[in-house]
Amino acid sequence: MSYAYLFKYIIIGDVGVGKSCLLLQFTDKRFQPVHDLTIGVEFGARMITIDNKQIKLQIWDTAGQESFRSITRSYYRGAAGALLVYDITRRETFNTLASWLEDARQHANPNMTIMLIGNKSDLTHRRAVTTEEGAQFARENGLVFMETSAKTAHNVEEAFINTARKIYEKIELGVFDVSNESYGIKVGYGAGGANGGTTVRPGDAQASGKSGCCS
Amino acid sequence: MTGLVMTSRPVVSHETPEIGHQKPVSDGFSHTTRCTEAKASELSNLQPSLAALCNEEKTYQSAVVVYAKENIFVQPGIKCKRISGRLSLLKKAVDDVMFLAWLPYALNNTSDSATDDNKFVVISDGGPALSEASSTAESEKRDRTLYAVHPVPISDMRAVRRHTPTIGWHHIIIVLHTGLSLPPLYFTNGGVKDFLTVLKQHTCLVRSPDDPNLYLVNDIADPLQRSMTALDLLEVQNRAGWSESAGGSASLFVRGGKDDLDTPSPRDYSLGVLEHFSRVTKLARDTTAHIFGKDQGLDASTWPCEGEETLIKLNYPPQGMLAVNCADGEDEAPVLRVVQSDDDEAAPCDSDSQSRCDDGESASTSVGSFELLESERIVSSSKRIPSRAQRPFPLSVEEWCAFFEPDGRLADERGFRERAFYGGIDQNVRKEAWKYLLGYMPFNSTVAEREQIREAKKTEYDALKAQWQSISASQEKRFTKFRERRMRIDKDVVRTDRLLPFYAEEDNSNVELLRSILMTYTFYNFDLGYCQGMSDLLSPILYVMEDEVDAFWCFVGLMDVMESNFHRDQNGMHSQLQSLKKLVQLLDPQLHCYLEKMDCLNYFFCYRWVLITFKREFEYSLVLRLWEALWSKHLCEHFHLFVCAAVLQKHRRAIIHGEMEFDTLLRFINDLSGKIDLEVALYDAEMLFQYAGEAGQEVLPTSGP
Repeated sequence: MSYAYLFKYIIIGDVGVGKSCLLLQFTDKRFQPVHDLTIGVEFGARMITIDNKQIKLQIWDTAGQESFRSITRSYYRGAAGALLVYDITRRETFNTLASWLEDARQHANPNMTIMLIGNKSDLTHRRAVTTEEGAQFARENGLVFMETSAKTAHNVEEAFINTARKIYEKIELGVFDVSNESYGIKVGYGAGGANGGTTVRPGDAQASGKSGCCS
Repeated sequence: MTGLVMTSRPVVSHETPEIGHQKPVSDGFSHTTRCTEAKASELSNLQPSLAALCNEEKTYQSAVVVYAKENIFVQPGIKCKRISGRLSLLKKAVDDVMFLAWLPYALNNTSDSATDDNKFVVISDGGPALSEASSTAESEKRDRTLYAVHPVPISDMRAVRRHTPTIGWHHIIIVLHTGLSLPPLYFTNGGVKDFLTVLKQHTCLVRSPDDPNLYLVNDIADPLQRSMTALDLLEVQNRAGWSESAGGSASLFVRGGKDDLDTPSPRDYSLGVLEHFSRVTKLARDTTAHIFGKDQGLDASTWPCEGEETLIKLNYPPQGMLAVNCADGEDEAPVLRVVQSDDDEAAPCDSDSQSRCDDGESASTSVGSFELLESERIVSSSKRIPSRAQRPFPLSVEEWCAFFEPDGRLADERGFRERAFYGGIDQNVRKEAWKYLLGYMPFNSTVAEREQIREAKKTEYDALKAQWQSISASQEKRFTKFRERRMRIDKDVVRTDRLLPFYAEEDNSNVELLRSILMTYTFYNFDLGYCQGMSDLLSPILYVMEDEVDAFWCFVGLMDVMESNFHRDQNGMHSQLQSLKKLVQLLDPQLHCYLEKMDCLNYFFCYRWVLITFKREFEYSLVLRLWEALWSKHLCEHFHLFVCAAVLQKHRRAIIHGEMEFDTLLRFINDLSGKIDLEVALYDAEMLFQYAGEAGQEVLPTSGP
């Protein structure tokens, strides 16, 4: 399917915060808790529409384990957006955000849009990190923030699409040289005019592929 | 099909063919022809064999001539009469496969009879100007068919060398992947450039960076595959009745000899290589084309068959071939120099032959010098690789029982390992056999000793398990490391192979066993702790063992060799990926260069393959098969790296042609999961292993998995 732009995303965060579940919920609209743990990296893709433009999100879902950090760092290259995920029920996953951010700042391009995500918002009874703490961290570090639930799908669409919208705005503002693929953006064949694609409200899935399919 | 079954070794001669003793070339080539644009009826006036040939290939009649050039001649020897004919490029209508052909005119056509020399003739479904043949001079007639270049697929072409001397005819020499070179084709009115232009439109033609007159055809063609498949020559030779004299003073040119099908010596490989070289010098008159029939005539459509690629790389000297081939005034074969095999016996060399063997590293032929690619590596292999079809069934219960002595010792450890490597192990035998492969039970242990070991190991396991189980809730609060590990293990065991019935459903007791074993292991090897990937490694072991204690100790055995994969500094992973890099550099320099160009030499795209030895790349039952092959250590401890190289090699075209960068390559490799043919990969990996020889061993990690 043709697209105006392709954005590369990377999902990072500690082990077990729900990175793969977020991806699966976004691409397949389902929650599968028994999904095999991620070794190395897995891929997902979905088409979205922003400002009447078809945008393909190619999403890299990384392994969270500390010892895989060195390989994860190689995935930042050329990412336009990152979802930095923690688990609101486990404070330790919030505490490591700074080191994840440091990795991202060091290995990604400086214009990468980072969305901070407090996942598992459905588990209110086990909450260990308040919404305000998350928002505060995001403010301090210039990130966009949202709480999501991969299980109930709450805010999952918004998290991915708002990130895309931010990236799109940066393109419109000329922040990126879109011809330079190191920004994680590819201009597709369907770039054409603003009316190139069918009109779909932002947030609606135009197409969804199985997780792992990213062609 | 005729002439396809060899009953004796072909005579390798570098002399002018003694026509009377040679079969007409069409006998050797009849099965090679895939395409002709000529109707059989038009050829009925030609020599019967050629007509028959065309008759035979009626199915390929509908080919389009995309290029034709008249009055291209072949000069059999300096004193011989030139033979004129038509050079053409044909495209098969069915599948667009391109062929090159040079067919001589009938005898009463003189070399200057054709017209329109410089015109490209674009005909659809046309026929060549093959007019009536009169059989005046028998030998001349034979020459014609002998030198004819029956349609050869462009994909079989390796290189075109252009010769444009200021004095003399412009000509080209076409070299095939097989090492066979076509006779020099002389252009009486120029037009070499035009020919190359047309050829370029239909195939990948690149000028060699080293020699402006050398054009490489399909340069992307897989040098490794050629090298590998050259090893298969052995089977062809053996089936064709090839042999060597048993006494060791093997003569390459001896006919017959003792059949020795079961124990091919290293020299078999070198003989195959030598044979290739000899072919190079014999041009199209070589009657040994018989042996190209991979399936001994059963598969006529595959000539020159893929399995006959040669081990040479073209290394042309700056000077042209004329000095060697024709202009020296002798119709004598050029010097053939071949690297000798590593044995200390006399080189396979025949004084009757005009070839001279020498300690050189190149083979000078009519088209230049050929460098023998790592011949020592080829001939160092003393092992015949069973073909995939020959691979045995998994080691059965009966066979397994037969391995044991009366006192319960498994005496033939090597035999067992070899058996496990080639055939795998029957599911009913695995539970016992894996204990040996994973070092849990010693091969020389008796039944009684094993019972003792089992008892002791059970006690030890229980003690280890009790350590972490006895940690109280209050103690746990002050034991962060313990809490962390338990949390990670808890998280991972519930997402390890849960689709497999053995681990499926809620509250599965086997998931609990995974948890217990991993927890116990972190106390057994506290410094290492738990790392993701371990649950993937344990899962098949528990599945096979169906016992907590046995699974634990087998897992310990596996982790003993794989521990470094999980070191925090990743040293084990990096050293293996570096070894893999060197292995590919050794085995497939072209792919290596490509990966270097794309800044992919960290080999992170193979990370998952190596970390958990392909656990995620194959369906579960195949993982078991692969692992026991690897654990058998039949060939080497790092055979998995050869498997990596083999799979990469299999997809080298997609990688290079697809111009994959790091990102696309990583996704591509990830997507191969579930699509790799395990037996093919194992077979190819073994070929690579044999091919790499000692040089391969040198690049492998010194320890670890």
